[in-house]
Amino acid sequence: MAEFVGAFAASHAPLIARDWDKLSAERRGQISAAYGELGRRMAAAGPEVIIELSPDHWVNFFLDNLPSICVGVGESHDGPPEPFMKSFPRSVPGHPALGRHIAETALAEDFEPSISHHLKLDHGFCIPLERMALPTLPRLVPITVNDLEPPMMSIRRCFAWGRLLARAIASYPEKDLRVAILATGGLSHSIGESTMGAIDEAFDRDCIRAFADGAEAPLTQFLEAHMAAAGNGTHEVRNWVIAHAAAGARGFDLIDYRAVPEVYVGCGFASWRM
Amino acid sequence: MTDYWLSKLFFDLQNPAAAAEYRADRAKVLARYPLAQEVLEAIDRDDVGFLGRRVNPYLLRYYFGTAGMSDAVFLAKLHQTGKEPAHG
Repeated sequence: MAEFVGAFAASHAPLIARDWDKLSAERRGQISAAYGELGRRMAAAGPEVIIELSPDHWVNFFLDNLPSICVGVGESHDGPPEPFMKSFPRSVPGHPALGRHIAETALAEDFEPSISHHLKLDHGFCIPLERMALPTLPRLVPITVNDLEPPMMSIRRCFAWGRLLARAIASYPEKDLRVAILATGGLSHSIGESTMGAIDEAFDRDCIRAFADGAEAPLTQFLEAHMAAAGNGTHEVRNWVIAHAAAGARGFDLIDYRAVPEVYVGCGFASWRM
Repeated sequence: MTDYWLSKLFFDLQNPAAAAEYRADRAKVLARYPLAQEVLEAIDRDDVGFLGRRVNPYLLRYYFGTAGMSDAVFLAKLHQTGKEPAHG
């Protein structure tokens, strides 16, 4: 059986890449330290495959066909199309057998994911991977979560998806395959709205506290009550909820949090207690 | 209210070749989309508030970046609207 070796989360503000050289040296140092510590923890966990949860920022999907959740089952996936992400590999190896197992496990349990045999991985997937600077990039099973265009999955369903991923890892038949989960996005931010640039630090601190405490009901109630008001980008916290539930909702260790107005995002970095 | 064709225009302009064509000949590209006259006029005057009520906010941001508007100007125009776009 596969082994679930770690669950992690990181913000993915595109300006971290696009405007990197415009950030102060102090800010670059803070951000690099956070991603670096996340990378050290991920490397210590030693995953051979990362199941990565990120929104699709209108790269793969449009209004014609907008899945709530899509599991990447391909042999490989394309690197980011954004011009400011040229330093990232143009092709990323997938793990089709694990991806397919996740999809089949989901369908057997009455979940209905979309699947893709070839995804384009935008900055949401690739900024954390690049900044974490892992010694080698593990194979990926990318999973897109619709965090951008309403209607979106309920928080309750995100918890269910997380538990499902844990069961899929546990039931995957390849002996000792080491699998980690990386959730990207959040915390509070507002993009293309009249509040763009606003960071809700109070929300972020309360959100972090709720994740750290771990319990499902208070976290769900908090997010249902406050997430939408903290900016449209804050919906990406759904990805954190999936990772949180997969890890057993035992709480997490906050690596770093800071509001970074230069990139418009409350940037959070964490690893879950397994 | 979602304007499908306006959204489609903004989505398509993420393609660098389409964006270059748009910057070179905006009217030619716009003619391919069945956009309402009031929408065309809003595009012409860079009306962030009007367009923002009809498309996803991320697509709105991509569009104005593609059209050459700086982040500072885009933010200033957004903040002036004082209204949330229809999309979350």
